[in-house]
Amino acid sequence: MSAAAIDTIQVQRALVCMLYDPAYAARVRGEGPLAELGERERALLRAVDPRALRTDAMRRARAVQAILEEYPVSAALLGVPAVDRFFSSPAFRAAVFERGSMALSFGTEFLKERALGVGALEAAIARARRPDRPRPPGLGCAANVAALVVPAGTLEWYQQARARLGADPLRALAALRRPWTQRPPKRGREHLLVEAKEGGEVSIGGASEALVDLLRAADPPRPRAEVVAAAIALGAEADEADELVADLLGDGLLAES
Amino acid sequence: MPAFLDRVRDLPRLGLGVSTEYGARRQDGALDPAALRTQHPGYADFLEVGVEIVKGLDEDALAWAARGWPTTYHFLDVNLDEPADLDAAWLAAVRATIERLRPAWLCGDAGLWHFGARDRGQMLLLPPVLVPEAVAPMAAGIVALREATGLEVLPENPPGSLFVGELHLLDFFARLADAADTGLLVDCAHLAMFQRARGLPPLAAFDAFPWERVVELHIAGGKAAEVDGLPWIDDDHGPEVLADTWAIAEAAIERATNLRAVIVECERNPIATVAPIFARAQGLLPPALRGAAEARA
Repeated sequence: MSAAAIDTIQVQRALVCMLYDPAYAARVRGEGPLAELGERERALLRAVDPRALRTDAMRRARAVQAILEEYPVSAALLGVPAVDRFFSSPAFRAAVFERGSMALSFGTEFLKERALGVGALEAAIARARRPDRPRPPGLGCAANVAALVVPAGTLEWYQQARARLGADPLRALAALRRPWTQRPPKRGREHLLVEAKEGGEVSIGGASEALVDLLRAADPPRPRAEVVAAAIALGAEADEADELVADLLGDGLLAES
Repeated sequence: MPAFLDRVRDLPRLGLGVSTEYGARRQDGALDPAALRTQHPGYADFLEVGVEIVKGLDEDALAWAARGWPTTYHFLDVNLDEPADLDAAWLAAVRATIERLRPAWLCGDAGLWHFGARDRGQMLLLPPVLVPEAVAPMAAGIVALREATGLEVLPENPPGSLFVGELHLLDFFARLADAADTGLLVDCAHLAMFQRARGLPPLAAFDAFPWERVVELHIAGGKAAEVDGLPWIDDDHGPEVLADTWAIAEAAIERATNLRAVIVECERNPIATVAPIFARAQGLLPPALRGAAEARA
C-alpha cells in the first residue's frame, strides 16, 4: 500500500503556527496527537531546525501590534500580555488552518465577553472594515455594517477610553504597566450601528431596537422572504414589511450577497 | 496554446531593470527609479513593480507607467497553490492594474504570501514545501493566472531561512516549470540563501535545471546573520551582494539562452550606493540585452 500523499497546504499552515508559537512548535516535535497533521506531514516539520523558526525576532510582536491597532480599548482592559497569548491559542490556529482572519478570530473566538460591550464594539468595527469577508448568499446586513446590542453607556465609555489612550494608542498601550481597573458598563441595553466607509472611516451611532434586531436577524444573510418575515415578527405591518426591506436595501443597510 | 519555448520568442528583451514596491521611496535617501533611468542610462531599462492589490500603485509606479516606459508586474499577495486566492475580486483588480502598467509579464515568488485569508497583519513569505506533491497545485495556479490575465506568469524561487522538504529548490522549480509549461524567474540571492541553508556550493544542481526556461534573473544584496549558532542570510536588498549571489548570476547568465531581463533589487538605498551593483550586473549581460531600451526605441 502506498503512503498517503503529503498535504502541503496543511504543512504550510502548521509551519506558520510554529513560527508564531514556540509551544505549538514543541507540540509538533513531540509525540502527542495532533489531529491537523498526518505522520508524513509531521515528519517534515520535525526535521526543521528549531533555531530557524527564530530568525525573525519581531514576527510575533508585529502580529500583536496588528491586533492592538484594531482592539486598543480591549487591550487596555486585558493587558498586552493577554493579547499576546492569542497567538498561542486555538483561536489563532483556527484562523490559520481555516483561511480566516486573525483580527476577526481574536474578537469572536478569543476575546468573547472578556471586554464586555467594548470588546463586542471593537469586534464589530473589525467586521465592518472587512466587507470582502466570505458570506453565504442571500439578503443580509450589508457587509460594511454591523448591528449590535451592548450594555447601556458602552459607546460613551468607549469614546472616553479612546480619548484616554490619546492620539497614539500603541504608545499608550506599550507604556501600560497593568490592565485598566475601570470596567465598561454591564447593565441595560444600547443598540448600535457601525458603518465602515470606503475611505476607511468608521462611524458608530445609536439606532432603534427594531432596526438593530432586524439587521441582526439578517446576519448571516438569508432568503429575502425570511428577512421580510423577521421584519413582521419584529413589529412591521405585514403589508409594509416588503417595502421596509426595500428601503433598507436602498439605504445600504441591507445588501444582497 | 504553443509550448512555452515557442511563446518565449514573443517576450520582449527588457534588459537591466530596477524594482520598486508601494511606498518604497518614503525611506530617506531611497532610490528614485526615474532618476536612476535619467542619471544612468542602461541601469533602469524597465521597472519591476511589486504589487499588493490592497495597497495599489504609488506615485513612482504610476508616473513611470504614464510615460510608457516598460514594466513587469511582481505580485506580492497570492498563494498560487490555493485556488481560493484567485477570487473574482482580486483578479479584477489585477486586470485593472495590468491596464495601467501594461507589463511585459507577471512574476513573483511562488510561495506563501499570507496565512489565513488575505488580510491585514497576515502577510509573510515562505518558500513552498519542497516535495513532489506541492508541484501540481502550484502549477494549476500559474496556469489559472496566465489564462485569467493573458500574460505569462513566471514563478520565482522565494527566500527563506528554512526550507521544508527534501527536494532541491532548483529541482522543485524545474518540475513546476514543466507542469505549468511556463518560464521561470531565478532570484540569485534567494538561491544563494537556499544553497547555504543546505550546506551546498552555490552552483549545486545547476546541471539538471532547464535554463532555457529562465526569462528573468534577480540580483540583490544580503546580509549574513546568525541565531543561536545557526547561520542564515537576511534578504535585506542592501548594498552588499554576496559573492555566492554573483557566482550564481554569472553562471545563470551563461546558461539562460532565453533570458529577457535582469533586475537589481535595492529599493531603499541611494543611487550612489548601489550604482556599482548595476554596473557589475550590466557587465554580465549578454549583448542582446545590453542597451535593450535603446534597441527597442
